[in-house]
Amino acid sequence: MAHDWHPDFEQLVDEHQSMVFSLAARMTGDRGLAEEIAQDVFLELDRHLGRMESAAHTCYWLRRVAMSRSADALRRRRVRCTDLWIEIEEGHGARGEDKDSPLGARLEQMLATLPEPQRAALVLRYQEDLTPEEIAKTLDAPLATVKSQLQRGLKLLRAKAQSHLKEFVRAKG
Amino acid sequence: MGQESIDEFERDLRQALERRPAPPGLKRKVMAEKSRRRTQRLHNRTVIWQRLAASLALAAVVGGGFAWREREQERKGEEARRQVMIALRITGHALNQMKTQLAAHHRANGE
Repeated sequence: MAHDWHPDFEQLVDEHQSMVFSLAARMTGDRGLAEEIAQDVFLELDRHLGRMESAAHTCYWLRRVAMSRSADALRRRRVRCTDLWIEIEEGHGARGEDKDSPLGARLEQMLATLPEPQRAALVLRYQEDLTPEEIAKTLDAPLATVKSQLQRGLKLLRAKAQSHLKEFVRAKG
Repeated sequence: MGQESIDEFERDLRQALERRPAPPGLKRKVMAEKSRRRTQRLHNRTVIWQRLAASLALAAVVGGGFAWREREQERKGEEARRQVMIALRITGHALNQMKTQLAAHHRANGE
């Protein structure tokens, strides 16, 4: 398909590195692995640069490939959710950033313990602010499944928060 | 919990899941790897062409060798045929001479 959009690769890396890295890090819980995945994703983008039709298409493509690569990496490594947070906390997490409230950090920790499909749906919903329809397209999953995963994931996360973050809930209340 | 607290929870979750900055060296690593792979691709392409050229040269040498051997065999065959013809001519000539001598001998005895 012919198109007039001729992106600059370096600029694309600049623009999207945070998104790709964050997706991979939240899905795998491993900062080093997330960096490797992000590298792979961008190198694959370089190979497919000619097929990118627009900025939006590139963004969609990057999210899709990042999620797919993260799922592959998780499958390969069989990382246990309970171990994930150690890496997140050490690396990806609050690296001297003031904006990370204890609640934010602990919510992220709890998110890492959710089943992979629910985590994927929640990360795309709340990190990327995608609609369920967009999430379904990105994950190549039926809309009903995505809606169910979002609902169940949110419910489970909420239940975990209620049982583990009582002091925060009290403080907030 | 009511709708308000659900919204609050979702808001907290959205805040918790804000994009984080990528590691400082990520872009540099991507660009370096891109450059390395490009060089590797070029190198691989050169090696492929070199191998192809070497294969063609080898095929030409082997083919030339076979052609030369074929031609040499033809030449030797031709030479052998020529020598046989000479030998036959010499033999024929000798036989004719012998025949003439025998005829002369018979004539002398008959008289």
